[in-house]
Amino acid sequence: MILIGELSLWVALVMAAWATTVSFAGGHLRRAELVASGERALYATFALVLLASIGLWSALLSHDFSLDYVATTTSRNMPAIYVFTAFWGGQAGSMLFWTLVLAIYAAIAVFANRNRARDLMPWVSGTLGAVLLFFLLTTCLGANPYTRLPFMPLDGTGMNPQLQNPGMAIHPPNLYLGYVATTVPFAFAIGALMTRRLDNEWLGAVRRWSLVSWLFLTVGIVLGMWWAYVELGWGGYWAWDPVENASFLPWLTGTAFLHSIMIQEKRGMLRKWNVVLVISTFLLAILGTFITRSGIIESVHAFAQSPVGNWFFGFLVLGIAISGWLVATRLRDLEAPVQLESMMSREAAFLYNNLVLCGIAFSVLWGTLFPIISEWVRGSKITVGPPFFNAVNVPLGLLLLFLTGVGPLIAWRRTSAANLKRQFRGPAAFSLFVGATLLVLGMREAYALVAYVIAAFTLATIAQEFAKGTAARRAMHGESWPLALGRLVARNRRRYGGYVVHLGIVVLFAAFAGMAFKVEHEVSLQPGEKFETTDAWGHRWSFTSQGVSRYESLNRDIEGVALVTTRDGKPQGLITSERRQYRDSRGNPTFNPTTEVGIRSTLKQDVYVVLAGISSGETAELRIAFNPLVPWVWIGGLLMTIGGLIVMWPAAERKRMASGYRASLAPARELVGAPE
Amino acid sequence: MKRRDFVRALGGLAAGSVASLAGAQAPAGTTDAPEQSSSNLFPMDQQAARSVRRPPKPNAKPLLDNDERDAVERQLRCQCGCTLDIFTCRTTDFSCQVSPAMHRDVVALVEGGYSAEEIVAAFTDGYGEKVLMAPPKRGFNLLGWTMPFAVLAVGGTMLAVLLRRWRRRAEVAATSPGAQQVPRVSTGDATADELARLDAAVRDGA
Repeated sequence: MILIGELSLWVALVMAAWATTVSFAGGHLRRAELVASGERALYATFALVLLASIGLWSALLSHDFSLDYVATTTSRNMPAIYVFTAFWGGQAGSMLFWTLVLAIYAAIAVFANRNRARDLMPWVSGTLGAVLLFFLLTTCLGANPYTRLPFMPLDGTGMNPQLQNPGMAIHPPNLYLGYVATTVPFAFAIGALMTRRLDNEWLGAVRRWSLVSWLFLTVGIVLGMWWAYVELGWGGYWAWDPVENASFLPWLTGTAFLHSIMIQEKRGMLRKWNVVLVISTFLLAILGTFITRSGIIESVHAFAQSPVGNWFFGFLVLGIAISGWLVATRLRDLEAPVQLESMMSREAAFLYNNLVLCGIAFSVLWGTLFPIISEWVRGSKITVGPPFFNAVNVPLGLLLLFLTGVGPLIAWRRTSAANLKRQFRGPAAFSLFVGATLLVLGMREAYALVAYVIAAFTLATIAQEFAKGTAARRAMHGESWPLALGRLVARNRRRYGGYVVHLGIVVLFAAFAGMAFKVEHEVSLQPGEKFETTDAWGHRWSFTSQGVSRYESLNRDIEGVALVTTRDGKPQGLITSERRQYRDSRGNPTFNPTTEVGIRSTLKQDVYVVLAGISSGETAELRIAFNPLVPWVWIGGLLMTIGGLIVMWPAAERKRMASGYRASLAPARELVGAPE
Repeated sequence: MKRRDFVRALGGLAAGSVASLAGAQAPAGTTDAPEQSSSNLFPMDQQAARSVRRPPKPNAKPLLDNDERDAVERQLRCQCGCTLDIFTCRTTDFSCQVSPAMHRDVVALVEGGYSAEEIVAAFTDGYGEKVLMAPPKRGFNLLGWTMPFAVLAVGGTMLAVLLRRWRRRAEVAATSPGAQQVPRVSTGDATADELARLDAAVRDGA
């Protein structure tokens, strides 16, 4: 099976080259048989890459340590699930995984459009083939998971213990699924530029795939935050590390695109801008991968310092050059007559949103690359860390949150002053009420106060939208509240799913602002010794050490400390934090010791205990932190995911068609306005 | 002409892959076997600490309490490669020997009667600006700090100009005869009100 897999990988390389060549040739010469051959070659590439992946999986699961990849990422005593996820746990395997996902997407995209967009598709399959070709080349020649060792070790070195975590098992594939999905809209954008036309089929396909990418990126980013928070032990979930930024960049431009595409759908405007956004999103995903894999920027991620970076750099330069050339020569053909009735219209609001999202994307990119620029210009190294990113992005983020609230209140085309006043009254009053309450309760952090006032405003506008829609349905159909609400969302998934995503954003911002009230203490505790302190909510906590214990577990030695906790005198149970030394099956230590954080989570806050060291045998050196509102970060992420799923749910399109909404778009005017 | 452009682009694609291939093969011989001296996630430089000592001031009394000292440590970056600040690193990762060493220097400076600014300045002298978690707002770094806002301002201005131009076009269209009805392309994001009317119309029709 391993041999079959290895061979399949090489045949897939040839097949992708064929797919690229004949698809482009077919598109250029307008020959259907070449196009058909190219599409079949993409299906074949998918099958071959799948075989190659199955080969690697079987090598991993059968512990074939003659493969370098298997020997360096797994060991015999690892839990089976992590042996399985080791497929994407290392450089070479993750490249193959990326290729696999891309091959699956390419096959789906070609299949879904087999009877549609015929003059566009050759360029789409050609572009998909070209990107696949690049990834297969990189996998085969740059980081081949089938590279063999000159000898067969008895056991592998095992997986980095910090990657042996459920979050790490599913966070990378989600990010890859998101990154890779940006390729399909990119391919469609290239197709549009080549054929010089954008129609509704283009729009539909690009929007769907951008949503797929957005959803996976969202889930991937939030899972990454969760992993960093529970596993790395530094007590936060976002450090503006270059690799985090790399995943955030395509998310930002992708989000901007999902908003501006609506203007194109409604008004036929912004075609050029949308094409540029789609291309930028893809190129930022590649740039992100380059940053992750090349190690050009100091980061805490494992892929650093690898030759694969050079491949990505070449591909990035090539991608920028080709898309730049296409955009420069063909963009004018996509021009559409543009009109704007009012600066206070939904379309204008979307443009403000795009400005802020792209502004944040620029500042993140700028901050990430500035150390390189600085070293290049001045020759001295500098650090651009969280203080920079927070100072620049917090105001922009709050502006964005405000626009999230304002946008839905403004009508398409123009909004009358009276209407605006009516729409704003409730939310404005609510936000002022929240602000005043927080002030009275003693909150003095300026940014946090502003964040909560804006969050309250946005929350109220979302609630108002749901309430109005539900009331309208009740009045129209006499439905009960829950039924009316359910049908409102089900019949209009894109709109109300979007509001659920916005709700998730509000929750996230509220949770981020909570970190302004973080309290942490450095504590040394001997067995039986007690530490008392007060958290940001005013609760009195005590932590009593039960001493340091040492024991062995599955594949590790553990030193742990247990703390008995009380809040306001009431027992809150034990919190334990551990130091783990992992061992291979022969008992030799592998990797460095790691810290296992102890977290006690409530909706108010997390109590976060890190065993930072053990001195004189029995004294635990601890960091005890109170992290307010952290669980709401995960809740916000979950809400965004649910909202994204509501928007994407495939039944939405079909149902709407069945009930006449979609099919009646053109006839709708006649239906509504037809004289009886 | 267009065909030639296209062929040239394809040629560029091939050349690019060959170039990156050549670039990739040079360092391919280096193995990335885990080194015991490195952290699990990043290459760790345990020798990165440099001595930042100053003679204690005469009749020195500490000006900072422990919380203020930790606040100073949060502005300074541990040099082991972790990208964390000194305080967070030394209370997180006990395999790092750099942040405890830097911490000892901070403690010595605090006990020597130095203020927060003086300690930060001493560390900047010893390590260079890279020891600060964010670049100081002066000189070339000002470009770094202001660029995002400058770009946003330029973008905002461009957007404002565009919007105004589009609005003027709409005004012209509205006043010109025979251009009253702009066809509306819509795929479903109608207001609840419109949908209800549509719904009713469909029902009545059925």
